[in-house]
Amino acid sequence: MKMTSPLPPPGKEMGHYVSEAPFDVMSIEKISPEQEKIYLAPQWKLMWWKFRQHRIAVWCGVFLAILYATIFISEFLAPYNIQTRNVDHIYSPPQQVHLFHEGEFVGPFVYRQQYKLNMETLKREYTKDTSKVDKIRFFCTGDTYHWWGLVEMETHLFCPANGGELFLLGTDRLGRDMFSRIMGGARISLTIGLLGVMVSFVLGIVIGGMAGYYGGWVDMVVQRMIEVLQSLPSIPLWLALAAIMPVTWSPLVVYFGITVILGLLDWTGLARAVRSKLFSLREEDYVMAAQLMGAKPSRIISLHLVPGFMSHLIATATIAIPTMILGETALSFLGLGLRPPITSWGVLLIEAQNINVVALYPWLMLPVVPVVLVILAFNFLGDGLRDAADPYK
Amino acid sequence: MMRCLRLALLTMLLVLGVQTNAFAMTFEETPYFSDLVKAGKIDPVARRVPQQPRIIDLAKIGREPGVHGGKLRMLMGSKKDVRMMVYYGYSRLVGYDLNYKLQPDILASYEVEDGRIFTLHLRPGHRWSDGAPLTAEDFRFAFEDVMLNKKLARGGLPNSMLVNGKGPKFTVIDELTVRYEWDAPNPQFLPALAAPLPLYLTYPSTYMKQFHADFIGKQAAEALAKERKYKHWRAMFIRLGRQNRPENPDLPTLEPWFNTIAPPSEQFVFKRNPYFHRVDSNGRQLPYIDTVEMNISSPNLIPAKTGAGESDLQGRYVSFEDYTFLKQSEKRQGYNVLLWKSAVGSKVAIRPNLNFKDDAWRAVMQDARFRQALSLGIDRHEINMVTFFGLGQEVADSPLMQSPLFDEEYASAWASHDPVLANRLLDQVGLTKRDDDGTRLLPDGRRAELIIETAGESTVETDVLQLITDHWQALGLKVFTRATQRDIFRSRLKAGNTMMSVWSGLDNAIPQPSMSPEELAPSNDSQTQWPQWGLYGMTDGKSGTEPDLASARRLLSMWQEWQQSRDDETRERIWNDMLKLYTSEVFSIGTVNSTLQPIVVSKKLHNVPKEEVYSFQPGSYFGVFMVDTFWFQDGLGSD
Amino acid sequence: MLRYIAWRITVMVPTLLMISALVFTIIELPPGDYFESYVAELQAQGENVDLKAIEALKVQYGFDKPPVERYFHWVWGMLHGDFGYSFEYELPVTDVVGDRLWLTMLVSFVTIIFTWLVAFPIGIYSATHQYSWGDYGLTFVGLLGLATPNFLLALVFLYLANLWFGTSIGHLMDAQYFNEPMSWAKAKSIMEHLIIPVIIIGTAGTAGMIRRIRANLLDELQKQYVITARAKGLHPFKALMKYPLRMSMNFFISDIGSILPAIISGAEITAIVLSLETTGPLLIRALQAQDMYLAGSFLMFLAGLSVIGVLISDFALALLDPRIRLQGAHTK
Repeated sequence: MKMTSPLPPPGKEMGHYVSEAPFDVMSIEKISPEQEKIYLAPQWKLMWWKFRQHRIAVWCGVFLAILYATIFISEFLAPYNIQTRNVDHIYSPPQQVHLFHEGEFVGPFVYRQQYKLNMETLKREYTKDTSKVDKIRFFCTGDTYHWWGLVEMETHLFCPANGGELFLLGTDRLGRDMFSRIMGGARISLTIGLLGVMVSFVLGIVIGGMAGYYGGWVDMVVQRMIEVLQSLPSIPLWLALAAIMPVTWSPLVVYFGITVILGLLDWTGLARAVRSKLFSLREEDYVMAAQLMGAKPSRIISLHLVPGFMSHLIATATIAIPTMILGETALSFLGLGLRPPITSWGVLLIEAQNINVVALYPWLMLPVVPVVLVILAFNFLGDGLRDAADPYK
Repeated sequence: MMRCLRLALLTMLLVLGVQTNAFAMTFEETPYFSDLVKAGKIDPVARRVPQQPRIIDLAKIGREPGVHGGKLRMLMGSKKDVRMMVYYGYSRLVGYDLNYKLQPDILASYEVEDGRIFTLHLRPGHRWSDGAPLTAEDFRFAFEDVMLNKKLARGGLPNSMLVNGKGPKFTVIDELTVRYEWDAPNPQFLPALAAPLPLYLTYPSTYMKQFHADFIGKQAAEALAKERKYKHWRAMFIRLGRQNRPENPDLPTLEPWFNTIAPPSEQFVFKRNPYFHRVDSNGRQLPYIDTVEMNISSPNLIPAKTGAGESDLQGRYVSFEDYTFLKQSEKRQGYNVLLWKSAVGSKVAIRPNLNFKDDAWRAVMQDARFRQALSLGIDRHEINMVTFFGLGQEVADSPLMQSPLFDEEYASAWASHDPVLANRLLDQVGLTKRDDDGTRLLPDGRRAELIIETAGESTVETDVLQLITDHWQALGLKVFTRATQRDIFRSRLKAGNTMMSVWSGLDNAIPQPSMSPEELAPSNDSQTQWPQWGLYGMTDGKSGTEPDLASARRLLSMWQEWQQSRDDETRERIWNDMLKLYTSEVFSIGTVNSTLQPIVVSKKLHNVPKEEVYSFQPGSYFGVFMVDTFWFQDGLGSD
Repeated sequence: MLRYIAWRITVMVPTLLMISALVFTIIELPPGDYFESYVAELQAQGENVDLKAIEALKVQYGFDKPPVERYFHWVWGMLHGDFGYSFEYELPVTDVVGDRLWLTMLVSFVTIIFTWLVAFPIGIYSATHQYSWGDYGLTFVGLLGLATPNFLLALVFLYLANLWFGTSIGHLMDAQYFNEPMSWAKAKSIMEHLIIPVIIIGTAGTAGMIRRIRANLLDELQKQYVITARAKGLHPFKALMKYPLRMSMNFFISDIGSILPAIISGAEITAIVLSLETTGPLLIRALQAQDMYLAGSFLMFLAGLSVIGVLISDFALALLDPRIRLQGAHTK
C-alpha cells in the first residue's frame, strides 16, 4: 500500500499503519532445509562443523581419547608389571613378532633368545634360537597386579608363552620390559599435564578476569604481577620450588606438588589472554544490559563474558598441556621432579640420557616416540579447536 | 800399614763414590729446554736437578725407561679439577711407594725418634719451579708465619699436627734440616704428608713473602689486595698461595707440572717443572711428558668424548657402565681400555643412622642384631650378577684382598644370604608382630617402613637399592628410597632427619697399619652412620654427643689408642681389633667390592700399569704409580 | 604520550624492586647456603674441612647477618654497579659472566635468524593453503622440533655428528682453540659446532612462531581490504606481502620483551647437555650451588632486560597503534 497521505503538521504524531493481512515470515526469502540447519544451529554445532574441517585435528582428538582411555587398563594391556625384573635378560633388544615359522602359519610368536656374555667387551649378546617357538598367548594369566590399587588381578591382554619371554621393545638395565614401562609411564605423564593445566586455568581465569573486568588499579597490580613472573626465567623458579619440597613426601604427593608448581608458573599467558579479551568484550551491549539489570560482576564475568571466549581458552589450554609434559621431562633432567622408582616417560628418558644408550642400546630411547606423538596430537587438536573457536568469523 | 791406609782410602772413596754417584751420572738435556739452555736463559739440566736427585730405577719396578716429549690430554668435569694435577703429580715430602710403604720423596731422608721426633733432611740444590732454592726458611715461614698466624690460619693447626691438643716444637737445625718435636707420639704426621691431599709443611717463601703483611707492611698489603680485587690481604694470600689447587700460574711448586692458565677457562695447560727433583737411571730428568692439557667439559659428555678419542689418560668421570661402549670404540680410536679395581670397601653401602631422631627406630637400629639381619637379607650374588657381571666380590664393607689387613673373617662377616636366620634375628629384636600384608610392626605399632636416602647421583646406587628393596621385602620390611641433592642429603643427615643413607663403603680399602683407622671410629661428622658421635670424636668431646653404644665407644678409644701408638706392631693389632669389631657390628652394610674401573690409556702411552688398584686414599688415583714416569712413544703425543 | 612514557618508567622501579626481592627469596629458599654445599662437596671428595675457616669465610662475606640486611647490601651494591662476588669462582661476578656473554649472544642471534628463516615460509604457506596436505606436512615438521625433548636430541646429534663427520663432541669450538685469539680456523670451528645447538634450540622455537604467523595472517586475510585489493587486480603475492603480512607483524614487536633476556641466557638445558660455554649452564650451576651473588645478580640482569624489553615493545606498539594507548579504567 502506498503512502499517499501528506506528512502531518509539525509537532503532531505520525500516522501509524499496520497491515492486518496474514503474513508468512519465510515467504519473502525462503531458506532451504539445509540452510535452516546452518542458520538455526546452536553454537557448539557450528564449532563442531568447523572443527571437522581440520581433519588431522579430528584424528588427533580420537588418538588422544584412546590413549587416555588406556590409562585405566594399562596394567591389563601390558604383558609385564613395570617393576618386574628379569636378570637373565638385561639389555635385551626388541624381539620381532613373526607369523610364519618355516613356511607354516603359526600365529603371532617370537623366537626364544639365547644369551651369551662377550667376555672381551662385557656386552650381553642375544641371538635368536629359531628352533624354539614361543607363541604369544592372549587373555592370559601373567604377573599379578592391583587394578587401581584395589582389586588384585592377573589377566593380561597378551603375555609371553610359558617359559619364554616377550620383549616387544626390549629391556633396560635391570631386565624390565620397555613396552610395559612405557604403558605404565603414560599414566603419570598424561595426567600431570592435565592437572597442571587445570591449576593454571583456574588461576588464569580468576586473576585475568578480575583484571579485565575491573580495570584501574586492580589491572595495574595484576599486570605488574604478570610482568614480574614472566621476566624471571622459568628454570630458576622451578629449581627453587622443587628444592623446597620435603624429601619425606611420598611419590604421589611429590607428583601433585610438581603439577601445582608447573601450573603456578604457567597461568600468566592465560591471564593475559583473558584480560585482553575481557577488555574488548566488556564494552559490548549485552554486558551493559546485564549491568543495568543489576547483575553482580562475578555473575557477569562467569555467565556472560567467559562463555563467549571459553572455546578460545580451551584451545589455549590444549596447547599448554604439551608444555607441561615437556616441563616434567626438563625437571627430571635437572634432578628435580619425579625420580625412580616412580615411572613416567620423563624418568624413562632420563635413564636413557647417556652415550651407552645412544650407541649400544638405542631402544631405550623409544619413550620419546609417545612423547612426541602426544605433544603433536595436542598441538594439532589445539589448532583445530582454536580455528573452530570463533565460528561467527 | 800402607795396605791398611790404602784399604781405608779405597773404602772411603767407594762410600763417597756411592754417595755422590749422582755427580758421576751423565744427564741428558730435556729437548723442551734445549733452546733456552743454549740462549743461557736457564741452567743446563745437571745444575737444575738437586745435587742428590731422587733416582727412579724403572727397570727395577718392571717398567721401561722412556723418552722426553709429548702432550697428555685429559678430560675433567669442573674447573675445580685443577686439583687433580696435585693428586696425579704426587710430589710429596714423604710418599707411598708401590706397596704403600712410606718413603722419602722430596726429602732426601728423615728420621723418627720414639715416634714423636721427626728430623727432615732436604736435598741440597733443590729448587722451586721458579728457580728459588728450597731451604729450611720455607719450612720456618710456613710454620711460624702462616700456620701459627692467627689471621691466616683461623682454625689453628691442622689435626695431624696436634697431639693432645698441642702443636710441635719446630727447630731449624741447618739450612737443609728441620725438626718437629712433640711430647707424645704422632703417628698421623707421616701419613698426612703422604696423603693425596697432603699436609703442606712448606711454602715458596720468596714468592709468598711479597703478599704477607708482616713482611711488606699492612698498608702495602691491603693496597696490593685492593689492586688485585681482593677484600683483604689475607684472602689474597690464601688464594694466591693455595698449593693444593694450582689456580695461580705464578705460584712456584715442587710438582712435576705447573699450571699456566688462570681460571676461568675451559682449558688448563700444565708445563713441565724445570727443577723437578726426580731423574730416571739414564740421566733423563723427569717428567717425560712436556705438557698436560686438561679440558673441562660437562661430566655427562666425558664418556662420549673419551670414546671419540679425545683423552690420553682417563679414569675420572668414566665408570663401569661405559666399559662396553669404550671397548667397542677402542679399535676406531687409538686407545686401550684397562680394567683396574676400584678400591672402596663396598661399591654401594647402606648405613643406618644411629643418631636418627625417631626414638623407636633409633633403639631398633642400635641393636646389632637388626643390622646383622639386614645384612643377611641381601642377596649379594644377584647384585653382583646384575650390576657387575659377577666380577666383584660379594663381601661386607671391608678391606680388599690387596691390603695386608685383609682377612676372610672381616670380609665374610654377616655377608652370606640367609633370610631364615635374618627373620629369626628380627624376631629376636622384637619386631614379631606383622601387618596384614606381612610387613613387620615396630613395638609401638607403626609399620616397619625404611626410608633410605641417596644423593641421587649414581644409577648403580638406584639399581642396587631396587634389588635390595625386593630382598628386604622377604624379611617383612618395606623400603622407600628418596633421592635428593647432595647438600640437602648432607644437611638432613647432620640434623638427624635421615633414617638410612647410601654411599660407597670405606674410602681407604687398602689400608696399611701405618694409616689412620679413623673411618672405623666415630671421628668425623660427615660419617653417615653416626654424624653426632662423629662430631664428638672430631672435636674431642667439645660438641656432638657421646656414643650411646659401648661398641662405638670402644672403637673411639681404640682410634685414640692408635693416635698414641709408637710402632707398627701395635698399630696392626689395633687395626685388626677395630676391623673385627666394626664388621661384626655391621655399622655399614656392604654389598660388593673389588668392582672394576675402566681406565682409558692412549696406545702410545707407556708405563701405565695394566692392572692396579684405583683409589683416592691412599693411591691418589694415578699418583702412587708415578705419572711423571709415563711416556709417549717417540716423544709424540696423540696429536 | 610523554606522560605515558614517564608513567611507565616510574612503574618500572617498584616492579624491579619486587623482582629483586623475589629473586633473593628464590635463591635463599632451598635449605642451606653456599658454604654448606661447599663443605659437603669437600667432604665428599675426602678433603679435610676446617670448620673454623669456613666460619671465618662466612663472617667475611657477611653471611652471619640476617637475610634482610644481606638483601639490602646486595641491592645497594647493584645500584652502584657492583654485582657482587662469586664464591664458586672466587672472582667478581662481572669477570665470570663477561667472558661467556658474547658467545651466548652469538648462539642466540644465529638461532633467532634460523628460526625466522624456517618459520616464515612455513607460516605463510600454511595460512594461504589452509587445510591442505602441504599445510599439515609443514606444520608437522615445524612442530617436531618442539615436541622432542631437547636433551635427548642433543646427545643423539652429537654422537652421529662425531660418527659421520668427525666433529669433536660438545662445546662451541675444538679444544685447541680455547685460549687462542680469533682466527679463520677458530671461526670455522665455531661455525661447525654451532650447527647442532642452533638446530636443536631453533626448531623448538619455530613451532610457536609458525602458529602465530599463521593465526595472525589468517585473521588479516579475512579482512575486507584484502578482498578489495584482489578484486582490483593486485597480484596475489603482492596482495599478501604488502599489506596483510605487515599488519600481522604486530606480534614481533610484542615479542621483543621476551626475546631480549632469552638472547642472554636461552636454552639452559641444551647448553648443559652440549657443554656450551654460554651463560645458561653458569646460571644453573650457580643456583644449584646457591652461589648467591652470581645467581642473584645474573637473574636480576635478565629480569631487568625483560622489563626493559616489555617497555620498549609497549612503546613501539603504542606508537604504531593508537587504539592501545587508550586503555582507561572501567567506567560504571
